[in-house]
Order: sequence, then structure tokens, then C-alpha cells
Amino acid sequence: MGARSGFSAQTLSVLAALSEEPSQWRYGYALAKQVGLKSGTLYPILIRLADRGLVEARWQDEPQPGRPRRHMYRVTADGVAAAAAAALAETAQPTAHPTARPRPRLVRTRRDAVPGVAR
Amino acid sequence: MKGLQRAGAAARRSVIRLVPAERRDWVEAVWAEAPEVPPGLSRLAWRAGGVRVIARAALMRRGTGRALLFAAAAALAAWAGWPGSPASFATSVDRADVITVVALLAGLAVVARRVLGPAGSSRAARLLRVAGYAAILALVPAKNVVEQVLDTPPRGGVDLRLYRLISGPGFGDDWSSEIAFLVVMAAYVAAILWLTSRRSRVAPATLAIGAVAGTVLGAAWYLVGPLGFGGAPATNPWLQGAGIDPFPALAAILLAGAPVAAAVAAYRRYPASSRSGPPAGDRIRQVLAAGLLTNLVGALLVTVCGTGTIAAMLTAPWLRNWLYRGHPLSGVDGLRLLLRGDPAALAYSHQITAAADAPPFLIISMIFPLVALVLTGLGMLGLAASAAARHDESPRAGGAGGPGAVPEPEPPAGAHLADCD
Repeated sequence: MGARSGFSAQTLSVLAALSEEPSQWRYGYALAKQVGLKSGTLYPILIRLADRGLVEARWQDEPQPGRPRRHMYRVTADGVAAAAAAALAETAQPTAHPTARPRPRLVRTRRDAVPGVAR
Repeated sequence: MKGLQRAGAAARRSVIRLVPAERRDWVEAVWAEAPEVPPGLSRLAWRAGGVRVIARAALMRRGTGRALLFAAAAALAAWAGWPGSPASFATSVDRADVITVVALLAGLAVVARRVLGPAGSSRAARLLRVAGYAAILALVPAKNVVEQVLDTPPRGGVDLRLYRLISGPGFGDDWSSEIAFLVVMAAYVAAILWLTSRRSRVAPATLAIGAVAGTVLGAAWYLVGPLGFGGAPATNPWLQGAGIDPFPALAAILLAGAPVAAAVAAYRRYPASSRSGPPAGDRIRQVLAAGLLTNLVGALLVTVCGTGTIAAMLTAPWLRNWLYRGHPLSGVDGLRLLLRGDPAALAYSHQITAAADAPPFLIISMIFPLVALVLTGLGMLGLAASAAARHDESPRAGGAGGPGAVPEPEPPAGAHLADCD
């Protein structure tokens, strides 16, 4: 799962969640709740995606009173393209055996919401 | 409660320092999200994930991983070598050994980093440093097992007479051999750290040559005397303790031949100096490094294997009986008389014989590197003299309108200085 695109299933789910609204900055806890990952899994994924330039991160400009500044994440154009390519690869993946169960789609990105992807 | 929180925050700040600078934002990010998580188990799980992120990021730093590995190995050696019985000379010696060797290994590494720079980036340098440290740490518990027998004289009876007869004088209340052991170990650690550091400018190929030649030398010496080297003929189970045997003679030849062969191989493998290439001194330095490393590795290998075998014999009677089977242990005058009809005394005589054959490894550890230093030192002097003679002749050859300097051949693969500053 995910081997065709070079991403693990969990990485693809994070990338897909961020690609739903590419212009929107997201917080770690909200993202963790959406994709159902724990912090110890989510953050290493975000670190790897940021290292590859697929996700950008920044600190909140003005923190809420009494709360520390939060770190925010947004998918980059390369990240959107990678998510779309992964979605295409997932769709094009042939069934291994006629009796095999259909595999769940990990990437829920709406292709029409992803700019720059051929339809 | 506020004090507890402050202490927690201070602990977190100091732990975050273990994380590489470019990753610290991410660790802070996990903590910054924690107030958003519902209190209780969920928040605790979120923070636990943060600890996992810290651990992963910290282990990315090579230094942290190495320090943890060393701490684990040192703790294992201390646990295995820490003597249980209180208030005896052997116990004091053993505790001093454990503490001092661990402190030497840790302290000299820190000093070497400042003086000699970081470890070489080649695989040979890293492997040698790890293997050297592992060997010295493994030697400590083995030596301590031997000393619990050798430095604990029986209170009286036949055992005391056996002890005096077999072990000889100099054991039981003498710190000098312990101090000598610790000085030798310090010298070994320093030599390993120098040879494997970047500033030593020892080529990876030289390290590999020295390590292989040293392994051959150590294995040969261990095969000749697997149970140590002593006066009793029990030392060599398959040589039957012959006074002059071809195998010990060959081992002695190998002691001188192995460092010389390694030095010649390293010299030939290293590229000759040229205008753009490495200076001539670097090539000569490979001679010393290869020869010294050969005998260091050889001595360490035979010492660790031999002392380990003796320690295993002392802790496992079946092994001692099996290895000493058929050997009369009659090299010491008067032993037969004491052992007549006394199985307990016979067992003790085996123990003390095995233990008394271990101290010569300390002599081996001192002599081997000295032999290498003398031989390679002579070689270096000869090479330096011939290089100086060539240097004196070369301007005259160029001035006479000769063909000029012949281009140096391309250096062979792996012989270049891959990790010099």
C-alpha cells in the first residue's frame, strides 16, 4: 500500500488531509484527529514531508492569551502534485487477483480541487 | 504544583538540547499543541508521542547514539565485572578497575575530540574504534574473575601451600600490576583514538591492513597459548608444553613479521607524494600506523580471548576439567605430593594454575606495541633518509636538462586519505 507512490499509507493520509484545502494552515492536533494518528506518528511524518518540500510549517503570529504559540502546516504546490500523483497511482493499480477484496482508497483528495493535475 | 511544572519545563528544555537544532521547532510544536488536547490520558498520550519524537530526533545525531551505546556497554561491563564479595584486596582492585577503565574510555574520547578532532568518517575508522572499546570493556569482567582467584590467598591448609607454590610471589596485596594494567589500557585507548581520528591522517586502507594483520597475529598467538602463558605445561593443551616447539617459534617470528609486512603493504598502497598529492610525510606515517595497529590489535585480541577463556574456566568447572583433561600439571615441583588423594586440592590447583597463567597477557600487551614501534621506527628512519637523498638528487637531474619529473601514477582505490581535515 502506497509503495507505488513511495509513501506509506499514513503519509498519504496526512498529505491527502492537507490537500483538501491547500491554502489553509492547519494545526497538529486538528490534523491528528482528522487522520486518526497519534502525535508520535504524525509529527515524524510531517517532518519528513517538510524535509522533502511537500509541506511548509510556520509558527502562529499571535498566540491566544495564556496559550503557547502553535505550529501550523500547509501543503506546498509540490505536495499537492505528489498527493494527486499518489491518488492517480492508487486508482490505476490493477487488482492482484480476481477474488481479492477491493483495497480502500487512502487518498480522499478530490482531483478537481487539485490545481495543475491533468483530468 | 507550580514547582513541579517548572521542574518539568526545565527538564524538557535540557532534553531538547539533545535534539539537533533544525529539529527543535518540531519538538516544541508537539508540546505547544498539548493544551489543545483534552486533559487526562489523551493529553498524556500526546506528550508521550512528543517524547518519542525527541528520542527519534536525538538518535539522529550520531554523537547521541554513540554515547548511549557506550553507556549501555559500560553498564553491562560494570554489571558483569563488579565484584560482590566485600572488603578484600581483590574486590578493591576489581572495583578500581571497573571505575577507572570506564572513566578512561569516556574521558579520553572527550579529550581526543578536542585535541585530535572527530573520529574518521571511514567505515574502517569507526569499526576499529568500536571494536577497540568493546574489547577493552570485555576484558574488564574477564580480568576481574581471574583476580578474584589470583588475588585472594586461602587462609591456610593445603590450599595456601598450593597457592604459594603455583601463583608465586607478587599476588594478593600488590597494586603495582594494577596500576601498570590501567596505564597500558590508557595507552591503548589513546593509540586507538589517535589512529582513528581525522587529524592522524591515517588512510582507511592502512587501518584495514593493520586490523587484518593484527587479527591474524592475535589469532596465531591465541592458538599457541589459548589458556594463557605460564610456567606450568598446562598452558598449551595441544602442544604438551614442550620446551622448544616450532609453533611458539613461529608465533615469535610472526610478532616481528606481521607489523613489518603490514607496514610495507600500507606504504605500497599509499600513493607516492607529488606536487599535487599528499606530502611524503603522510606516506611514511602510514608505515608507523599500520605496524603499530597490527601489534595493538594482535595483543588486544590474544589478551581478551585468552583472559576470557581463563575466566570461563574459572567459572565453569566442566570446562576446566575438559581443557585440563590428561594434563598432569606437574611443572611445579612438589605439586604431586600435595595433590595426592585430595580431589578438592586438585580442583583448587587447577583454578590457581589457570589464573596464574593470565598475568603474562599484561606483558604481551606491553611488549607487542613496543616491538612494532621499534621496527616501524627503524623503517621510518630508513624511508625518511632515502626520501631526503632523493630530494637532494632531484634538482641536479632537472638542471641537467633531463626529461623532468615523471608523472605520478594514479593512486589505487581506497588508498587516499578519505577523511583528513
